[in-house]
Amino acid sequence: MDTSAGIQEPFDLIRLSLSERVFVKLRGDRELTGILHAYDGHMNLILSEVEETIMLVDGADSGPSGQGIVNVTKRKMEMLFVRGDGVILVSPPSRT
Amino acid sequence: MSFFGFEQNDRLQQEKQRFREGKLEQEDLAVYTWGEDSYDGLGDALQEGGDELNDETFGGTEQVGKDFDFTQQTLLIDDQLEPLLVSSDNTFKQPFAQSDLSRDTANAHGTQASSSSRPGQSLWDEKSPFSVLPRSGGTSRSPADHVRNGSVSSSNLAQSHSPSASAAPQTTSQTGVRTLQDIEAEMKAVAIAQRMQNAAVTQRQQLMQEQQHAQQPHHYQQQRSAPPRMHPQAQSPRFHQQLQQQQLIQQQQLREQQLHEQLQLQFRQQQMLEQERERMLQEAQLQEQIRERQLQELQLQEQLRLDQMERQLRSQRPDIRQHQIIQNHQHLHQRPSSDLPLPGTIPPQQLVQRRQQSPAFIDPHLQPQYQQKGQYMPQNIQLQQRLLSEMAQAEFMRDMQAVSQAEQDALQAEAMRRIMETERMEEKRRRKAAKIAHMSRYNDLMTQSDKDFITRIQVSQLVTQDPYADDFYAQVYSAIVRSRLGLQPSDERVLKFGAFGGVGLGMGQKGAGRRPSAMQKMEQQVERIVHNARQREQEKPVNHNNLQGALGKTSGRSYKAAPRQLLQVDSSNSSSHAHISKEDAIRKHGEGAAKEAAKIGAEALGVTADPDDTARRDPLSTKEALTILEYLYDLVLDIEQIRREQSGLDAEGTEAAETWNKRYSELVQQLWDDLRVMVPLETSNPHPFISLIAPSKGKKLLPRISRHLSSQQMLTVLTLLVACFSQMDIVVHASILDVPEESTQQQDLERQTQAFLGSVVQSILPVIAKAGLRLVSGLLGLLLERSDIVSVTQTRPGLAILTLFLSRVELIKQSMSTATELSELPTQDETEQCALTPQLALPFPFGTHCRRAGCRPPNTVAPTLHTETLDQPVWQFLAALALHATNEQQQALVTALREKVLENVASANKGWVADEDERRAKLGNVNLFLHALGLDSSQISI
Repeated sequence: MDTSAGIQEPFDLIRLSLSERVFVKLRGDRELTGILHAYDGHMNLILSEVEETIMLVDGADSGPSGQGIVNVTKRKMEMLFVRGDGVILVSPPSRT
Repeated sequence: MSFFGFEQNDRLQQEKQRFREGKLEQEDLAVYTWGEDSYDGLGDALQEGGDELNDETFGGTEQVGKDFDFTQQTLLIDDQLEPLLVSSDNTFKQPFAQSDLSRDTANAHGTQASSSSRPGQSLWDEKSPFSVLPRSGGTSRSPADHVRNGSVSSSNLAQSHSPSASAAPQTTSQTGVRTLQDIEAEMKAVAIAQRMQNAAVTQRQQLMQEQQHAQQPHHYQQQRSAPPRMHPQAQSPRFHQQLQQQQLIQQQQLREQQLHEQLQLQFRQQQMLEQERERMLQEAQLQEQIRERQLQELQLQEQLRLDQMERQLRSQRPDIRQHQIIQNHQHLHQRPSSDLPLPGTIPPQQLVQRRQQSPAFIDPHLQPQYQQKGQYMPQNIQLQQRLLSEMAQAEFMRDMQAVSQAEQDALQAEAMRRIMETERMEEKRRRKAAKIAHMSRYNDLMTQSDKDFITRIQVSQLVTQDPYADDFYAQVYSAIVRSRLGLQPSDERVLKFGAFGGVGLGMGQKGAGRRPSAMQKMEQQVERIVHNARQREQEKPVNHNNLQGALGKTSGRSYKAAPRQLLQVDSSNSSSHAHISKEDAIRKHGEGAAKEAAKIGAEALGVTADPDDTARRDPLSTKEALTILEYLYDLVLDIEQIRREQSGLDAEGTEAAETWNKRYSELVQQLWDDLRVMVPLETSNPHPFISLIAPSKGKKLLPRISRHLSSQQMLTVLTLLVACFSQMDIVVHASILDVPEESTQQQDLERQTQAFLGSVVQSILPVIAKAGLRLVSGLLGLLLERSDIVSVTQTRPGLAILTLFLSRVELIKQSMSTATELSELPTQDETEQCALTPQLALPFPFGTHCRRAGCRPPNTVAPTLHTETLDQPVWQFLAALALHATNEQQQALVTALREKVLENVASANKGWVADEDERRAKLGNVNLFLHALGLDSSQISI
């Protein structure tokens, strides 16, 4: 099927995910999942029903093995505006 | 003064002598009489040349010019001097008179009798009229008059002119010291100096004088002795007549003197006989003349008196205002005999009369009085005037005090209030003016064209190619708000001009005040500007402006440039699926791209719809479905845009309407094709349409599409939906919702389910509502045939659909039973099928439903509000089912649900519930089912 005709640029892929749940990776070891409502050329995003996952590595250099303990913190937000300069990737959620 | 003093000098000397010698006056006489042997010839010695000019020097008989200006000061001095003269006359007159008498007697005793003394007396008398005056006054008046006159003058002097009065005697005494020769010489020098100037004027007099002077210079000189200043008559032009009279008198006197001097001359020549004879003759003449003269003297006296009075009056007039009331009272006390009424006794009429006139105007009114009363008048007038001033003052005071104190206070308060009010108003006005001035400081700094220019710049920023799209959300929101307010939804909130753009006007104005009018003004201005721009555009070709744009265009949309785009992807292969930032560029080609895409879609459909190729295809992937959905959304937006444009096109020509219709139907056809509803059911599992409505935005698309699709198309959609009901995600994965623990999956499914119930079921509801019994039963049969009815009824969407169908059948049955005769009711054929429906429905749902209702352990075990709410559709379905069930079926239903019903009722009645809402929900649910059976929860007793 020639459905790829409608896709000429990367943003068109993001466009497909409008009002769908997306996975967003951010700088600073943060991840978001939420329903994408809007975006722009700067990758500013507006998400709803967001769950943010923050990974904090405690004592990364203290241990002899060089492996710190990774603490995962989660929080939920009703609506979120994500500034585009922090976005690393946007993808549809992985289907199980 | 010297001439005046001549006479006085005599008197002074006389007095001195008398004082020195203590003699009687008789001894003095010998010294000063000319007519006797003892005469020392002093008068002759005094005889000098040039005396004939005295007249012109000191004022002679000629008329006094009007240019004489006598100041008040001289007048006063005259006033002082006059009484002085009078008083001195009074003091010295009597000795003088006595001396006259004695001289007479001496004369009688001497060489000549009364004949000689007579001329002497007359000689004295016939001096200048002025010098004569006091004596003649003294002779004519009674002594009492003299005394009064003197006292009056002295009082006057004492009152106001004491310094001058004291100066007057000094001068007299001075003259006494200086010799007559000195004085004469002085006067002569002055006279000579003035003579040259006045020579022509006084020529006649000179001639006359020379005639007389040749023989009798001595007498003439004496006659002229009174200085002009001492002539009261000469002091004012008013007295010209008097002067003339006086001149007449003087001429007479001159004549007399001529005679007399002739007589004297003869006397001196010692020609006694002849003299005697002549004298007798002359004396007779003289007697006659004297009588005549005395008559004139009387007149003169009267005139003089009047004159004096008037002068006094005049001198007093300015004093009136200055005079104190106390003084006035003193005067009154001093003159109680005054015939003027006292202030207290003044009759009111007079009072009024006087009040109406200012003191200055009183004079003419009092003139007759003043003339009648004669000598008393000056004092009276003075007094009157003082009284008047006093009374005026009193009157004023009385006027002021006439009103009562309260009235006065009220008046004062009123006045104060008015003043305050005026001040306040003034203050207010000033503040207002200041404010206006402050506000209008910068008025007219900008001309109207400046303002228009700025407005144009501002408005030009608002003009866009597509006002709807650029202002989309504001437009939609304002439309919603307006429809909520009940306003006309068709109100154009976009100001369009030409084919190239417009201005979005945003929300309708709300609220009162100045803003709406300001907005209206703005709108008007924008309209005007746009109109002008349009006109200019029309004029352009005329203005041969062909070179415009030849050098390139300036980018007029710099405001859209910032911030800079991070990603610049070239979209040479343009399509409708463009990035938002590229939309402007893409829009030009959007139409073509859409067509292309539609063609592609049609081809795809054509391929899939090909009956020859019924091979099963892979279902649409998520990505494909999403892409198609995006395209569908584009189509929907286009269609909606076209629909909006339709409102403006209705009124226009049919050609435009046709074009619109063509385009619209084309777009709708594209939409229909891309929905893939007509794709055969066997093409894929799930069916492409089901794949499309799997995402929530696909479900949400249906209500937006449904209004553009015909009812037949919608029916097809419904049929497809029912046929592929079990293929839907929400039905397949419905069991996840019953899992107690929450998960993202469950949330997503819940969201999808809600979206389905909210969007899909809502969009097909009107179709079902209109569906006939046959269609409903057909759909039911389709559903039963193609789906596992048990699994379907265990899902919420399935329950919803089934309930819809059953309630629709119930409605049809009701309308049949209530209005059988109506034509629009189902046909016979349909009613036959209607009878079949319950039988169709009967076998299969029965047990499963009971099981469904009974075996939902998670929900019943955790009896929350949520579960009760969730259970409601189940109970609704059961009720709907019970309605159509036969008696056996109903019994079976009740048996199956008995436990559940009893449990709900018991928990509601025995308070096993969390709150009132739950209890009500439980009972409501039970009753929903029981009512369908014709029962109620209250009938159940546990």
